[in-house]
Amino acid sequence: MSGYHDIGGLPAGPIPRVELPFQHWEKQAEAIRNLLGDGSRRLVSLDEIRRGFESFGLDKYQAYSFYRRRLEAMIDTLQSKGLLTREEFERELAKVQRRWTGDPCLRP
Amino acid sequence: MDRRPVPPAITPPATARPFGPRFDIGDLVRVIDLRKPGHVRTPDYVIGHLGEVIQRCGLFLNPEDLSVGITHGPVVALYRVRFPMAELWGGPARHPRDTLCIELYDHWLEPVDKVTR
Amino acid sequence: MRTHDHDHSQNQSPLHEHDALVAEDEAGNLLGQQMVDALQAILVRKGVLSPGEVGLEIQKLEAPGTHLGARIVARAWYDPAYRSRLLRDGKSAAAELDIKVGEAQLVVVENTPAEHNVVVCTLCSCYPRSILGQPPSWYISKAYRARTVREPAAVLAEFGLYLPDDTAICTHDSTADMRFLVLPMRPTGTEGWTCEQLSRLVTRDSMIGVAQPLSPDAHLAPKTAAEEHP
Repeated sequence: MSGYHDIGGLPAGPIPRVELPFQHWEKQAEAIRNLLGDGSRRLVSLDEIRRGFESFGLDKYQAYSFYRRRLEAMIDTLQSKGLLTREEFERELAKVQRRWTGDPCLRP
Repeated sequence: MDRRPVPPAITPPATARPFGPRFDIGDLVRVIDLRKPGHVRTPDYVIGHLGEVIQRCGLFLNPEDLSVGITHGPVVALYRVRFPMAELWGGPARHPRDTLCIELYDHWLEPVDKVTR
Repeated sequence: MRTHDHDHSQNQSPLHEHDALVAEDEAGNLLGQQMVDALQAILVRKGVLSPGEVGLEIQKLEAPGTHLGARIVARAWYDPAYRSRLLRDGKSAAAELDIKVGEAQLVVVENTPAEHNVVVCTLCSCYPRSILGQPPSWYISKAYRARTVREPAAVLAEFGLYLPDDTAICTHDSTADMRFLVLPMRPTGTEGWTCEQLSRLVTRDSMIGVAQPLSPDAHLAPKTAAEEHP
């Protein structure tokens, strides 16, 4: 049964001949995924990640960059296993973003 | 996100038998449409087409199971199957020997009688 | 936030919106970094990961690269017995060179005058990362994944590769546990070259199958240390 990711043979335009750099956050996300999937943890497999982004829906799948898709799918999978909640993640993200802007009023 | 219930941890049955290998190198096979929802690794473009087994890759856990957290097996035989390009897309291929090779799991394949196909 | 990367060629029609490669802009990369930091903080706090481990794993991710694949190809060109072993069992042959293939198996497919090989993953981005590192962005693009299994010659032509009419093309769709490496044909004019010299002709794109290796004319034969300092 095909999904929006199953595109072998579909018409498409010219190959975008670009070489995007591998960003640090992308490496970090992949590193975390590798560790979560390793023999001592087995918390998130590549198969679950793939199923994750294959279930996003077309709009989300097309809107996100490749590594962002994998990161989102990883967070979704961790949530579905009860390892974290989206609310927890959003709270932590807000904390990180406050540290980043260095707003003195919001320092914990 | 499509959420399947993750089954509780199950002790693998001691007698879990692998699925396959049913096919040998050189066997003709057709890719069947299992109409399985969720995560599968058989692309649409090979469904229904006739190919030849060129390699037996070994036994692997089924990604259809792994994708929903079932890690206890059974394992499934994996093959590389070769299709003539003309067979896949219709019309004359650029070259008569242009082919497509792809990895396919045993349960997606059915045997084809070389004589009657 | 993200932008669509645009093709800047003069004469090409505009890319379809959904064909363009989605690349993060500065804001998107910043958000990505913040998201990963947030995720890591949670996982560290829950005792699932340690920051040290993540750093080490990043180093491991950065370590592989084209140079590893080039060593394997060069050795196969240099040593016919090694070539046979490589074609039979890529993972074991790589291990002979102290190159560890992390994936289940490495299938090495050999180019000949009769047949040229090219590799794609139509469903996602399967690529021999443990030896070549991360795939190039175009390998993950919709256009490459959609078209290579249907019109490989046209795709190769976009990369500037034109095969003789009597060379067949075998396209490999990497869908499961195998990973693929193309063994290009050894360029002519390299008789007597060392493995190290040969490896400098092997490009990443020649190991994916969208290019030929460099020719000796395009790349001056590098001197060995002994030649440089007799």
